[in-house]
This record gives sequence, structure tokens and C-alpha cells, in this order.
Amino acid sequence: MAEQQKRPTPPVNNSPRPLGKGPRGPVLVHEKPKDVLGTLKRILSYMGKNRYIFFILLAVMLAITILNLIAPSLQQKAIDTIGLTSGVDYKNLVKYLIILGGVYILTSLITYFQGWFSAKLSQTTVKIMRTDLFRKIVTLPIRYIDTHNHGDLMSRMTNDVENISNCISQSIGSLFSGVLTIIGSLIIMLYYSPVLTLISISTIILTVLFTSIMTKFMRKYFTRQQILLGKLDGHIEEMVVGYKTVVSYSKEKDAIDEFNKMSDSLRKTGVKAQICGGSMGPLMNIVSNIGFVLIAGFGGYFALKGFITIGTIQAFILYSKQFSRPINEIANQYAQIQTAVAGGERIFTVMDEISEKDDKENNCDFIPDEVSGNISFKNINFSYVPDKPVLKGFNIEIKSGQKIAIVGATGSGKTTVVNLLTRFYDIDSGEIEIDGINIKDISKDKLRETIGIVLQDTVLFSDTIRANIAYAKPQAKLSEIESAAKTANADRFINRLPDGYDTVLSESGSNLSQGQRQLLAIARAVLADPKILILDEATSSVDTRTEMHIQSAMVALMKNRTSLIIAHRLSTIIDADKIIVINDGRVVEQGNHEELLEKKGCYYNLYQNQFAGIAT
Amino acid sequence: MKLAKYLKPYWLFTLLTPLSMVGEVLVDLSQPRLMAKIVDEGVVGGNMELIIHTGIMMMLLICFGGMCGVGSAAFSGMASQGFARDLRNDTFKRVMGLSFEQTDKFTTGSLVTRLTNDITQVQQFVDFALRMLVRDSILFVGGIIMMLSLDINFGLVLVCALPVEMVLIMILIKKATPIYSIVQKKLDKVNSVVQENVAGARVVKAFVREEHESERFDKANVDLMQTNLKVQKIMSILNPLLMIVMNLSVIAIILIGGFQVEAGEMKVGQIMAALTYINQILMGIMMISMMFQSISRAHASGKRICEVLYIEPVIKSGSYVSGNSKGGAVSFKNVSFKYPGTNGEPVIKNLTVDIKPGENFAVLGATGSGKSSLINLIPRFYDADEGEVLVDGVNVKEYDLDCLRKKIGMVLQKSELFSGTVYDNIAWGDKYASKTDIEKAAKIAQADEFVSLMPAGYDGYIAEKGASLSGGQKQRLSIARSILKKPEILIFDDSTSALDLGTESRLQSALDENLKDITVIKIAQRIASVMNCDRIAVLEHGSLCALGTHEELLKTSEVYRDIYNSQMKNGGEGDL
Repeated sequence: MAEQQKRPTPPVNNSPRPLGKGPRGPVLVHEKPKDVLGTLKRILSYMGKNRYIFFILLAVMLAITILNLIAPSLQQKAIDTIGLTSGVDYKNLVKYLIILGGVYILTSLITYFQGWFSAKLSQTTVKIMRTDLFRKIVTLPIRYIDTHNHGDLMSRMTNDVENISNCISQSIGSLFSGVLTIIGSLIIMLYYSPVLTLISISTIILTVLFTSIMTKFMRKYFTRQQILLGKLDGHIEEMVVGYKTVVSYSKEKDAIDEFNKMSDSLRKTGVKAQICGGSMGPLMNIVSNIGFVLIAGFGGYFALKGFITIGTIQAFILYSKQFSRPINEIANQYAQIQTAVAGGERIFTVMDEISEKDDKENNCDFIPDEVSGNISFKNINFSYVPDKPVLKGFNIEIKSGQKIAIVGATGSGKTTVVNLLTRFYDIDSGEIEIDGINIKDISKDKLRETIGIVLQDTVLFSDTIRANIAYAKPQAKLSEIESAAKTANADRFINRLPDGYDTVLSESGSNLSQGQRQLLAIARAVLADPKILILDEATSSVDTRTEMHIQSAMVALMKNRTSLIIAHRLSTIIDADKIIVINDGRVVEQGNHEELLEKKGCYYNLYQNQFAGIAT
Repeated sequence: MKLAKYLKPYWLFTLLTPLSMVGEVLVDLSQPRLMAKIVDEGVVGGNMELIIHTGIMMMLLICFGGMCGVGSAAFSGMASQGFARDLRNDTFKRVMGLSFEQTDKFTTGSLVTRLTNDITQVQQFVDFALRMLVRDSILFVGGIIMMLSLDINFGLVLVCALPVEMVLIMILIKKATPIYSIVQKKLDKVNSVVQENVAGARVVKAFVREEHESERFDKANVDLMQTNLKVQKIMSILNPLLMIVMNLSVIAIILIGGFQVEAGEMKVGQIMAALTYINQILMGIMMISMMFQSISRAHASGKRICEVLYIEPVIKSGSYVSGNSKGGAVSFKNVSFKYPGTNGEPVIKNLTVDIKPGENFAVLGATGSGKSSLINLIPRFYDADEGEVLVDGVNVKEYDLDCLRKKIGMVLQKSELFSGTVYDNIAWGDKYASKTDIEKAAKIAQADEFVSLMPAGYDGYIAEKGASLSGGQKQRLSIARSILKKPEILIFDDSTSALDLGTESRLQSALDENLKDITVIKIAQRIASVMNCDRIAVLEHGSLCALGTHEELLKTSEVYRDIYNSQMKNGGEGDL
């Protein structure tokens, strides 16, 4: 598409950042949106939030278009003064040139404003979009987050928004001025000579036909190229990620053969795409020159007959160029607009998701600080996917201050209990009560302030250690933070870090070991001082020595509060006040370690299965 | 650049591209002259015949030029795409020959971008250089020549306009480039906030911190917008400034033209031609300056590709090829090993142990005691720093790599499955295996029981990396794959961890029954998984601290007893 740019045309192009992109980047791969009009309307309504800039921009573009139409006729008038048979008319020549200069400078000035305003419009518009989208993401129910690809969600925030931003800053400008230019040129051309106009329109029609056919081909090959590239990508990733396996089976040669096959079909498609893309310019050149020769021929003939002046022919040639250029541009923008609309659609689908909401006016009596911590699950039924129940008639009674362990095979529904208590998911039927109050009557914020959780995968934020510990309680004093870290056994390693509590964690805390991260998460829970604590496999991937450290931190943490432990290590389970064994969505046994072993039931079997044969 | 040699097989196309480009450009350059002739001599002179005559000639020329243009696109496509394919293939081949320390260093993501984005970048540059560089240079130089040949006085305009335009472009690019990289950083920041919030949604919600996160996002978002605006403000000056330069040149040319026409040195049509040329020249400059950006991008990509392409694999194949005789002995002699690029304590310290053919051998130890590192030395995933690793009495470094790895079946800690059917995945072990062989291997691996329950059975498609299978199922499939390979040495690198004890003991007896003669080396954390092995080696901090049968070790080794007690009494390592 850059093919057109290098044609000798005046550089009136609306791209505010012409140097930011490769001049040959084929951006033709696009998705087809479903509801074009509706999506466009919504994008426009976002732009409407900057109504002033939007209208100023339109006015500025109108001015530029008019100036661009005036300039050639002035140029023609100036040249006419030279071409007179009576010699050069200097007085008029200078006059026209001064006016021309004025018009040019004005055009440049306005072009600057246009660039600036369209940048401002696109940037502020997408900023608002991003903000809205993020607000939505934060309030999306966990169910949505769990069932959707995170990378895809991220790409809506970046790629799709970027596409819209490009579309606003580039396409809308060229579309608007393009249409205006076409109309304007047409009027002026008609004014000069209706017959010549007809001739040049016929070549325009030819141009449009050509462009549409060529772009169709190009799109086909560029799309195919993109698909092949994606496949190649997948192959490389699979082979490199699984490289150990590839090597163990001496499969390198097969992998290379497969790669070469893909690589070659990519080459073939690439050549075709490139021929299509590269032919566009020369072919268009031919068409537009046919137009020129026709105009010159007929124009010359008319000039001979004395119908028109030479200057008119010159002007006409310029105008017919003005006329065909925006048509090319509009054709180019078409793909980009389509991509942007498709992106907009993807963004709006997320925005239209239903947020987590509290169902009704909530019981105001519930004060997180005064909760004593009695929890009961009454006859709970729940399923993630319809018809596949995870919990069936599930009942538990937990007393304030108890330490409860939940045990069961993978997929038996242990983590589900956590998801329901925090209302990450809502139950299908039954009741969960805290201190006798149905949690549906408690606002989600208050409910969650009551509960502290430490998860298997520690979530840390790219911020200082201090801020990460104080995550639940931003107003905490440094001394509180430090004492929480001490309780969690984390202060030792924190003090060894170069910046201590002010050390900034890299993205997701990857500069800490798994064990250290878990200690931070525990410190966070200590500081939050919740009435109810949930530990969901909180020490699962930690080696034995670190586990000892965490163990004592855990004991300190669980003191004086109701604790729910999704158990992994035997040592934590053995001390629990009550062990709840879940199987197939039901509580099958409960009691403490000794009681359950004596029962010789499900717990006993789990235990034996783990250590079967050792005794014999 | 070192990569230029990849163009060699396509030298003909590489040569034809600029040649046909020259054809196209020459036609382009002559076009304004012909137009001038039509106007000056035809229209003004009232010579209809000349108009038609020159018009037809012009059309023919333009068609020729167009053909040249299409030709150069085609030639350049063949050259650059062929170049890219060869480069890609060679680079991938190199990647497949890398040692683990090298792939670890590069990381998967970076290898993928190098093989796709970077190569595309270089390919586009080759295409661009072959066509646009040639085209713009000729247009630029040719435009100047043509213009000067019209009238030497136009040179004055060029002398004024060219440096101004060049300086303007340079200044702006210089100012904008660093801001573009800041934009990238701000964008990363926005991304990372979103990423953290999506991945950590539970924590954000649990601590009721949506408001705080929104504020954090707003800060990053506004930051991004402002930086973007800053760079766009600079760039939106560029166009108007260039327009002024160009348009002032137009005025100057008309003025000079006026004088010349008055003096009888020039005709009106020639002024028009000069206007077209000045356009060409100034656009040419802009294009060439953009080219510099593209060169620096392509250079960066080229460098990244070369880093992969010219790296020597650390582990080189030996030449020893063993006969068909069944072996299976493995010995470590005073072996020390430390991961390349790491400092401090070696992972394995002066370790000596002999594993006999057909033995059922187990290695036990805490995380980080060096179990996995030890067995990684057998198929030469890594090389020992000191001492020798021998397979059937021959140092592994002397073996032909394929021959060595053929002897060894390795079931990895992380089961890696590939997109394909269950059959395909098991057949990795032996691509000529019959269906019955494959099913038999699956039965031994205890995989048949769940595969046959799958709707499509063995023809069931395994979605990316086996996401639809449980950990235990994946492990059983990779065990089946190793069994099908009929190795002499079968290594389980903690790869039965997701199997329950019942399945594991069934697997063990099936192995005993069907693969009697092979050596089995088993790494595990659970005592229950290894207690029935012929001998158990206990590793601690990279050294062998005890060796013997379960009963012997219980009596003699304190460490073993500790592990046993922790799993039995306190449940330290045990999973429920």
C-alpha cells in the first residue's frame, strides 16, 4: 500500500506518525465485524465525549480540503500569465504567486492543527475506552475470568484499542477529506469542462474496479500468509518448549522436515502476496496515465478548436490527480476501518458483560470487625457447568475460632468451597451463613473484608514489598507492616534485600523465590487481620525446609480466628480441630485425625493409599 | 551483513529486480518530459498529430514501465522470500541442534520471535532495499539531473530546499525516536497492570481493592496518553514543515520559469515538468530518510538472528556406534556437575555409582539434592564438568548422539505432549510401530484404561499440550511413548508423581512382566514409589549419602530413616 505513497503526489497525508511504521508493513489482515453500524455508533459516541475537538477537527479538515482545491487553480492562473503570447505578465504573476504562497502557508498551518487535533482526539478517546474497559475488567465476575483466555483479554486492551486509535487518527481524516476532495474536484472539473470530466470519470471507474479486484487478491494472500506464519509460530513453540522430549526421541530431523515444509509454503504464499502488492502501484500508474493521455489528447483537440485554454488543461490534469488519489486512499482505509470495527466489537463484548453486583439493598448490621466467625454451609448445590454438579447437598458447620481442614481428591470440590464462601461464584441452591446471616444479604465488599485468603499461586504486584504487604490495609504504619512480616517469618529475607521493604518487585514478583513469595502473601494476610482465614494449598510448592518456616508462621496466623485449610501436607491436617473429607461433591466424613483413622473409612483409605505397603 | 550470502542462490532474481526497477524508473522519469512535449508542442503548437503520436508512444512506454514494475515486484518477491525461507530453515536447524543450556538462555519466546518476526523484518528489508532503495535513489538522482537539464537555474531551488528538508527530517527523527521507546515502556506498564489484575483477580477481589487498582491503572493510562501526545505533537510538525519547503520550491520554480520563458530559454510545459521533478526529488529524500529507520530496525533483527545462527552447540556428537547387543549398564565415576552459567556449589559433587544391566534402580532425595541433574547427564542433556559418565562401559561423550539417545527412554518430570492424536503421540517412540504395538505399550503404561474411555479412543485429538488431560493421564501417555521406544535404559524422572499408588504398582508389575531385561532408573520423592526397587541411592546436597535396599537403608541410613519417618509419621512430603 505504501506503493502509492511514493508516487509523486504532494505530501498531503493525514498520518500523524509517518515514521513510526515500516513503509511496507502489510496491515491488510483484518477480521470481519458482525454488527458494523452498531459498533461504529458506539465508537463514535466515545469520540463524542470530546465533541469540541471532534468538531474543530472536522472544520479544520474542511478548510484543508478547500485550500487543496484552490491551490491548483491558482497555480494554473500563475502559469497562464507566463504562457501568454504577449510575453510574461509579471504583475499578475507576482500577485498570483504571493496569493499562492499565502494559501500554501495557511494550508501548512492548518495541516499542523489537523495532525495535532486528530492525535488529541484519538488519544483521549482511547484513553477513555481503556479506562472503561479496565473498570469493567476489575468488576467482572471470577467466573468470566476463569473461563476466558487471559491473553485474549489482554490483547483487547492493547491491540484492539491500538487499532481503534489508528483508525481515528488516520482513517477518519482521510475518509472525510477524501470524500470532500472528490466532490470538490468533481465540481471544479465540471466547471472547467464537462466533456473532459466525463473522460476522466471513466478512468476513475477503471481505477476503482482495479483497486477492488487487486485488494481482494492481496487480502486473500496476506491473510493466508498470516495464517501460515501463525502455524509456523505454533510449531516452533511446541518444538522448543518440548525440546527435551524432541531430543530424547532424536526427533530433531522430523521437526526440521516439518518446519521446512511449512517454511516453503510460507515462501510460496509470500511471493504471491508480494507480487500482488507490488503490482498494484505500476498497474495503477498505467491506468492513471491512460487518463492523462486521453485528457491531453482531447484537451489538445479542444484547445485547437479554441474551446479551452492551455492553463485549463493543466489545471484539469492536476484536478484529475486530486480526484483519483482519495479513491485509492479510501480503498486503503477500508481494511483498516474494518479491523478497527472488529476490534471495537471485541472490546464492547467485554464491556457488555454483566458485572458482579449485589443483588439487593444489603443488611447494614453486618460489620466486618465484629464478626465472630461461625460459618455454616446448608444444603449447597453448585455446578460450574450446567448438569455437572460439583457440590451436591453439601453441609458443614464451623464454629468460631475453629481450625478446619478440607481434604479430598483432585476435582472433589475443595477449592469450590472457597469460591462460594467469598462469593467468587454464586451457589445454585442452599444457603451459606456467617454468624447466622446469609452471605447473599451481605455486600460483597464487606463480606470479603471479613475473609483473608492465601492462595497456592501467590499473587504479588509490581510495587514495593511494603505496598504488597500493606495491600489490604494501605494506611498501615511501617511498624505494623514490619511486625506482620516478622510474624510471617519474612522479615529476615526482606532485610537482606538491598532496599529492604522498599525493594520494588519485578513483574509478578519473579525476583523472589516461590517460598519467599508465599511468606509475603502470609504477611499480607497477617496484616489484614481477617476474622476468617482461608489457606488454599498455600504451602504446596515449597521445599521441606521453607515449609518448616511457613509452618510456624501459619500457626501464628491461625490463632484466634476461624481458619479453613485446603490441605495438602499431612502435618497441617493432623493438628486441625476438624477434618472434612469431601468426595464427589459431598461431605463423606468429618472428625479429627484419630477419629477418622479409627473409622477406617474414606480418610483411612486415602491415608493408606498414600503409604500402602510401608507397614508390611 | 553476514546474512547476504543467503541471497546467493537467488542471484539472478536479486540482479533482475533492480534492473527492471531501473526500467520502471526511467519510464517514470521520462513521463513528465513527454507530457511537456505534448503540452508545449502539441497543444500550444496546435499539432494534433504530434499529440496522438507522442501519446501513443507514451502509452507504450508506460506499459513497458508497468511491466518492469510488476517484474521487479515478482523478482524481488522470489529473491527475498527464498532468502527468508533458507535463512529460516537454517536457523531452525540450528535451534534443533542447540544444547539445553543454550535454549534455556534464549528462552522460548525469544526463539519464536527471532524465527518469525525478526526474519520477516529482514525479509521485508531485503525486498525494500532491492526495490525502494534503488528506486528512490534513481528517482532522486535522476530527478536532479532531469531538472538541471531543463534549466540549470533550477539548481538554485534545489540547493536551498534539499538541505533544509534533510535537516528538518533529521532533527525530528532524532527528537521522536527516544520518545517512541518511552511510549513502548509506558505501554508495557499499562499491560502489566492489566495482566496482574486479570491473573490476580481473586486477590484483588478478596482484599476489596478494585478502587485502588483502578487508580493505579488510571495513572499508567494517563501517562501513556501524555507520552503518546508528546511524540505525536512532534511528528505533526513534520508534515506541514515539509509541505512548506516543497510548496515554496514550487513558487520559486514558477518564478524562475517565468524569467526563463520571458528570456525565451524555456517553454511553459517545461515548468510543469520541473514541478513534477521537484516533487519527486523531495519525496525521494523523505523516503531515503525513512529507509535509515528501516535499516536500523533490520540491523537489530539481523543481529538477533545471527546470535542464534552462529552459535556453536556446546554438546557435540561423538562417533561411537554400539552394536545390537543388549546392554544397559550405567556408571558414574567421580562425577561433578554445575549448571553452566551458575556460580557457587556444584549440583553434583564427586559422585560414583554403578548401575547394573537389568537393575531396578531408584534415586531418592529432597528437592535440590541433584536427582534430576544426575540423570540428565546420561543422555547428555548436559555434560559433566568432571569425571565420566559411562553407558555400557563407553564414555557418553564418545557416543554418536542418536545412538546414545536411542538406548535411553526418558520419561520427563513435565510430560510434554504434542498436538496430534493419541496414536501420534505414543508413536513418537517409534514411528514405524503398528497399532497393536502402540496399544500394547499403552496397556503396559496403564494408559489404555482411560484412552479406551475417550470418545474417539486412540484417534482422539490431543489439544494443545494435552490441556484436556489430567496430570496422571499425561504421565501415562509419556510412559507409553517411552515403552514403545524399546529402550535399554528406561528413566523415570519423578514421572509417576501424579499416579496413585495402586496404578503405580500395577504399572510396576506390568513393566516387570513385559520389559524384564531393561535397566530402570526411577527418581521419586515418595518412599512408597521406590521401596520395592533392587537398590535405592539416597542423594543429599549432590553427594551419594547411602545406597542399598529398603531394608538395609532403614537400618543404616539416618537420612533415609528421616525421610521415611517424615512421610509416615508427620506426613512431610506426603500428598493426600
